[in-house]
Amino acid sequence: MKGFGNVAGLVGAWLGVMLLFSWQVGPSFASLQNLETILRQTAIVGFAAIGMTLVILSGAIDLSIGSLIALVTVVIAFALERGADPMLAVAAGLFVAAVGGTVNGALVTRLRVGSFIVTLGTLLIFRGVAKGLAGEQKIDAPLTWLSELLAAMRPEERWRLLPWGVWLLLLLAALFAWVLRATVFGRRVAAVGSNEEAARISGVAVERVRVTVFAIAGLMAGVAGLMQFSRLTVGDPTVAEGLELDVIAAVVIGGGSLSGGQGSVAGSLIGAIIMATVRAGGSQMGMPNWVQQIATGAIIVLAVAIDRWRQAARAARRREAS
Amino acid sequence: MGMRRAWIVVLFVVVAALAGCQGEKESGVGDGEGKLRIAVIPKGTTHEFWKSVHAGARDAADELGVEVIWKGPLKEDDREEQIKVVEDFTTQRVDGIVLAPLDDMALRVPVQNAQRGGIPVLIFDSGLKDVDTVSFVATDNFAAGELAGEKMVELLGGQGRVILLRYQEGSASTHEREEGFLEALRAAPGIQVISQEQYAGATTESAQKAGENLIARFREGGAFGADGIFCPNESSTFGMLRALQDAGLAGEVRFVGFDASDKMVQALREGHLDALVVQNPRKMGYLAVKSIVAHIRGEGVEKRIDTGATLVTRENLSDPEIAALVAPVK
Repeated sequence: MKGFGNVAGLVGAWLGVMLLFSWQVGPSFASLQNLETILRQTAIVGFAAIGMTLVILSGAIDLSIGSLIALVTVVIAFALERGADPMLAVAAGLFVAAVGGTVNGALVTRLRVGSFIVTLGTLLIFRGVAKGLAGEQKIDAPLTWLSELLAAMRPEERWRLLPWGVWLLLLLAALFAWVLRATVFGRRVAAVGSNEEAARISGVAVERVRVTVFAIAGLMAGVAGLMQFSRLTVGDPTVAEGLELDVIAAVVIGGGSLSGGQGSVAGSLIGAIIMATVRAGGSQMGMPNWVQQIATGAIIVLAVAIDRWRQAARAARRREAS
Repeated sequence: MGMRRAWIVVLFVVVAALAGCQGEKESGVGDGEGKLRIAVIPKGTTHEFWKSVHAGARDAADELGVEVIWKGPLKEDDREEQIKVVEDFTTQRVDGIVLAPLDDMALRVPVQNAQRGGIPVLIFDSGLKDVDTVSFVATDNFAAGELAGEKMVELLGGQGRVILLRYQEGSASTHEREEGFLEALRAAPGIQVISQEQYAGATTESAQKAGENLIARFREGGAFGADGIFCPNESSTFGMLRALQDAGLAGEVRFVGFDASDKMVQALREGHLDALVVQNPRKMGYLAVKSIVAHIRGEGVEKRIDTGATLVTRENLSDPEIAALVAPVK
């Protein structure tokens, strides 16, 4: 039930932000069209945040996400440009992303080097591979149905309420929320993140859990990369630089703890939506960029501060009870 | 429960404080009821060039009684960020969008979307492929590049080794300048282009690194193996200039740059730069806003509007017309 309370609090915070911008920008901010725009702009960070939630829950971090997204846009454009079927191009992109994630997991478990360092390295490696594959240029690809995945809906498409990409985001978020809550694997991920030694002693194959978690994070970065490609319609090896920080911020705003053991997919998703809302609101009210960046930064720090304060309060209550 | 309330209160305070601080600054979107609202979206906001465009856009706004909303991508030179800005203004239903696209392909879909929603779009500075817009207001970049190339030939007396440091792949305007420059050099058989495959990248920082690498590559003992250098925009020119100054080579090679900033004009005076091709960004911003307003008001607008380029050297710097072109915008 405590997880539910957290999500409700986040939804309340988001509604507060919406209300404030509706008052500042005008009623157009709460229009369905603008909600659609915000959700479309959330999608890329959202997909990556699902994977990052698992990684952070397991007590690790993945800094290579932004580079992996860029690599996937390049792989998809590379394949399309050479006449591949769009489905095949997508499969190639997702495969590369899953391999990238697995490499992260394998390096972390085999080399026994912390995930921060390993993924700091692969951040550069994946980015370099993307630039090399693209010949240090962007790759123009022919327009296909892939570019419709996250495009604004035309009037005749309104029947499906949201673009396909946003539906996929909600579906995958629901799937992984269920995985974390109701499956053995989900409980093991949290157990590894809370106390790795205890998990090992009680028979959890810690290494296997870690590699799986990084592979899933890679795959989700692959889906995020597909969405990024859909929006750009070109393969861009320089895109999404620093995006991993937005993704981590979304997870942290959503209640994830960088010391592991805590985090929820729903929370991370709403964290991502809050950040996208602040960005869109700031943009639409003509807020100068520097003010907007300060606002986003302040919200991230405050979210973590509140999280700490809440944990301390809970610990105090537990002491009183015992 | 207490937690939830704290969350909401804190967010309200932060956003309200920032909203308040914004209110005192330039007029936001909320005011100016009844006035036409024109969104002007540059590629970035820190280059001097864009400040001049902004000044020109404001001139037009004052003259025509419209409101100009100036908003660049939050992360400079990031295609995705610029797409978001175009989408935000589309959602908000401004009366017109004036855009300098960061990429000739990636911005097509959001621009088509805006136009489908009945918002006219005018492209300026840099082109967009395969999309019909109100007009394209820009320097004829190929001709401007030729101007630089002809000056280079003159400076070298038709003999020498030349380096072209390109700007960034996918930027149409600078690509045309580079091609115009190379075209003009072809007229002089005594000129040899020894490097044209290096890119300066988006920032002065990246350009300086590229410049340092080129210098290291062509330095043979004490001598420098190149006689002339051309860079096609402000950041690449300034980065290269910094690299040449650090290496003690400034003034030793003939150096033609593009666009102008205070420090670049200073370098021109000191002989560290031989010539600058300058555009007229203020005129560009002015004509872009003026043309889209004319279109919205039902007047005819030319499909292609050239805003011209001028060669600036140490000799003609004192000319008042030239001085106005390179003067910093307050």
